[in-house]
Amino acid sequence: MTRTTQITILIVLLGLLSLFYQGLWGDPRHIPPILIGTKAPIFEGPDVESGEPLSSKKYQGKVILVNFWASWCQECKVEHNNLLKLYDEFKDHPEFIMLGINYQDEMPKARAYLKQYGSSFPHVRDVKGALAIDFGVYGVPETFVIDQKGVIRHKWIGPIVGDVYTNLTNKILTPLLNKSAPTI
Amino acid sequence: MVIEIGHFSVVIALVLSAFGIVSSILALKTRNVDWVRVGRVSLTSIFILLSIGMASLIYSFLIRDFSVHYVATTSNSQLPLFYTIAAVWGGHEGSLLLWVFILSTFSTIAVWLHWRTQPTIMPYLIGMECLIIMGFLLLILFLSSPFDRLIPAPPDGKDLNPLLQDPAMVMHPPMLYMGYVGFSIPFSFAMAALFSGRLGEEWIKVTQRWTIFAWLCLTTGILLGGYWAYYELGWGGYWGWDPVENASFMPWLVGTAFLHSVMVQEKRKMFKVWNLFLIIVTFSLSLIGTFLVRSGVLTSVHTFATDPERGLYILIFVTTIIGIAFGSLMIRAHKLKSQVEMDSMVSRESMFLFNNLFFLVATATVFLGTLYPLMVETWQGTKVTVGPPYYNTVFMPIALGLLFLMGIGPYIPWRKASQASLKKNFLVPLVIGLLATIILFTLGIRSIFALAGAFVVGFSGAAICIDFGKISSLYSRRASVSFLKGSLSAFTSNQRRYSGLLTHVGVLVLVIGIIASTVYQTEKVVSLKVGDEFIIDDYRVKLERIHEVRGKNWSAQEGVFEVYEGDSLLTKLRPQKRVYDASQTPTTESAIYAKNMGHIFLTMPDVSPDGVAVARGVINPLILWVWGGGGIMGLGVLLNIFRPRKRDE
Amino acid sequence: MARLFSILLILCFAFPYSGLAKIVDETEIDEKVREIAKTLRCTVCQTENIWESGAPLAHQMRDAVRERVIQGQSAEEIREYFHSRYGDYIMMEPPKHGMNWLIWLAPFILLLGGGILLWREVKRWVTRSPKPEAKVSPPLDEKSQRRIQQELNL
Repeated sequence: MTRTTQITILIVLLGLLSLFYQGLWGDPRHIPPILIGTKAPIFEGPDVESGEPLSSKKYQGKVILVNFWASWCQECKVEHNNLLKLYDEFKDHPEFIMLGINYQDEMPKARAYLKQYGSSFPHVRDVKGALAIDFGVYGVPETFVIDQKGVIRHKWIGPIVGDVYTNLTNKILTPLLNKSAPTI
Repeated sequence: MVIEIGHFSVVIALVLSAFGIVSSILALKTRNVDWVRVGRVSLTSIFILLSIGMASLIYSFLIRDFSVHYVATTSNSQLPLFYTIAAVWGGHEGSLLLWVFILSTFSTIAVWLHWRTQPTIMPYLIGMECLIIMGFLLLILFLSSPFDRLIPAPPDGKDLNPLLQDPAMVMHPPMLYMGYVGFSIPFSFAMAALFSGRLGEEWIKVTQRWTIFAWLCLTTGILLGGYWAYYELGWGGYWGWDPVENASFMPWLVGTAFLHSVMVQEKRKMFKVWNLFLIIVTFSLSLIGTFLVRSGVLTSVHTFATDPERGLYILIFVTTIIGIAFGSLMIRAHKLKSQVEMDSMVSRESMFLFNNLFFLVATATVFLGTLYPLMVETWQGTKVTVGPPYYNTVFMPIALGLLFLMGIGPYIPWRKASQASLKKNFLVPLVIGLLATIILFTLGIRSIFALAGAFVVGFSGAAICIDFGKISSLYSRRASVSFLKGSLSAFTSNQRRYSGLLTHVGVLVLVIGIIASTVYQTEKVVSLKVGDEFIIDDYRVKLERIHEVRGKNWSAQEGVFEVYEGDSLLTKLRPQKRVYDASQTPTTESAIYAKNMGHIFLTMPDVSPDGVAVARGVINPLILWVWGGGGIMGLGVLLNIFRPRKRDE
Repeated sequence: MARLFSILLILCFAFPYSGLAKIVDETEIDEKVREIAKTLRCTVCQTENIWESGAPLAHQMRDAVRERVIQGQSAEEIREYFHSRYGDYIMMEPPKHGMNWLIWLAPFILLLGGGILLWREVKRWVTRSPKPEAKVSPPLDEKSQRRIQQELNL
């Protein structure tokens, strides 16, 4: 076996080893967000609780936090209280809007969920899954932050808990909202 | 209690496997046969202990002992008996135990079978097999134990994944593992040859039957998997280039290359290092496949639960074995440099080399395709999909090349082919191949895949048939018997060669089936109310009624569809939308009717509450040739294994 | 009266037809949807396209495709829409740009390169191998020659 062959085999094996090792700690389900920096789609649908039509057009020019959830989703339950807390924290800011989007769900189940776990901000029902596809959503929960210009600035796949929560409030929402903070 | 006995037995087996390695090392150091005997006893005891382990697990399943965690997660009280046994290897932990159980079985058989004839390599063989067994047992006992208790025991278990509650799925893992494990025997023999420095050809001759047997099991396992996917997953396809499918296909590809290449070593005593390389790669791919499936590195329809710790251990274990193997190859390879005597560029030897080239490029292609998404994600941070369109494009020329080689290889003489012999053997087949292409073209077929496929299949098929026909007529004339009798004597006169060619014929049949059922598949998806009908190809399918059906552990909505050809009723097909009681998992059960060696394949993916059924009909022309071809391949192998031994064998 | 009579007449003719079997078929839209759906990956499955997959998301994506086909969008426009939302991942094969050329060309390069290397190696062996000495032997008769050829081919 020639030197070149030996070295080639060694390089291939070591390359594979490093690839597999790195692959072990990566999450195969994590998909990098490609919509960051692009214009967010306008979305509309019936309000989950009242049935009235709700449209994001109404909120153009504001910072919108969009959260996709479903009554059958376990991780959504985990983050639900944090979402309520977050809304409570920011609701007084005139430019802050929070909207939930109910994904692949049934109206009665969604209503029951909100009744049971609490609801303080409006929720839109994604009737045909078109809203989710428009946002490039794979599953729930997924959360987006849209700035005043309508550009998607942040996306998170998974529940908003712990460090994720603090990062969202301190590093994402607060700076965006302070840019146009009312003059003190 | 019983499960603890099993657990305890496996623990002792682990200790004995370590002991087996130690005794083998001692045997080599002291050159005392008694230590080898100790090793043999250890290995045999491991086999008995693992049998007890398996038995205790099976027992726990049969008596529905839900206090055993693994039993509770993969079975439940309504599960039919047959599938309860299958549930033993339906989950990650149990399937690993099955793997190591088969490994210990085959190792023990190998040691006892070859004890008399291969005394010097025994310590290496025992040591190597014990090392691999130990690796698996460490994994099982510490990171993936099927023996753990679940306290408090639930009143009933979850369910075995309904997709696995199926006969083909029951046999698929054992067959596949027998293939993987089967290759460990030639691998261990190769390691023995490398370590001992006794690098003659004995190891090839001795393990030849193991290689063929392993190949048979692996081929069957893969085909069973394809068959299951075909009718159970409900989309009428049998191969999706899924990472786990690829993980079984790669060792098969290199294993086939190995199987062919050893013929050169046997006949001409050449390519020794190359063959060692091939078997090491084959078995390494089996191990890497195990890693891919269980580590969470790739997600798949198949993958078991992900766990980085477990994955890390498997990576270390697999790296160790592969490292030892390649390391010894590189160190010892120079001792093996055989004089390569090649008389001609066109010879059987060179044909085998090109065969190997194509198989290895095929393997590298599948390997690259499977790992590319991981590479891109790790090194670039983006995600891509490498799906069937990629593989179909890239694989086609390689497959066609291989089929062409399959046609010429057997008819090119050893050492050197003369111009005359080339013309004699291949002129007619070339013409027939061209004719086949022209005929298909005139029939309106324009797919490059189909046309090129027609050429190579026609060519290779003609080469085999003409040659066998000539020999058969020679035999029949010589003994003045019928052609049929003549062909039988011809077959048995050189059973090894002709059973191999029969396997090749099986491959051709399989390929024809693949081309026809892929390129000429028709599909219709329609919404129907009772009484409506739709037309697909020459058939009329009418929805007669929709009703509820109950099975042992499921309930379903079944559509009764009448299939007409013209005015005559061919059959009633009953696809279902099933829901399994325990897990509430829905499945789509397909209904199939065979006609003209193809399938009329019907599923009912959806039924609305107001009685509108969505029906999906697929016509798969010549699909039976796929399974039939596989069967012929298997028959060829069996006739090879069970052939009458000639004097010089 | 005449009105009643004509209504009854119409009903007499209409009623039998309500029991006739309806032949349903795929529409052109259905075919277009299938064609496009087969090229988009189901993002929550393993290498299945959204046509084959039974996942709810796949179902909704098919509906989204259908809506756009009905609106009159071309296959390219629809694929581009999904691509803008989900990236390269939604395509069933790596798009041919940048690093992806590696995977598209590798098999052919390997085959060609390997073939050339092999060819050269075999040639080297052939020129290096000792030639069998030319032996003079009496020419064999036809039958024996044929027989020998046969045995040599086996």
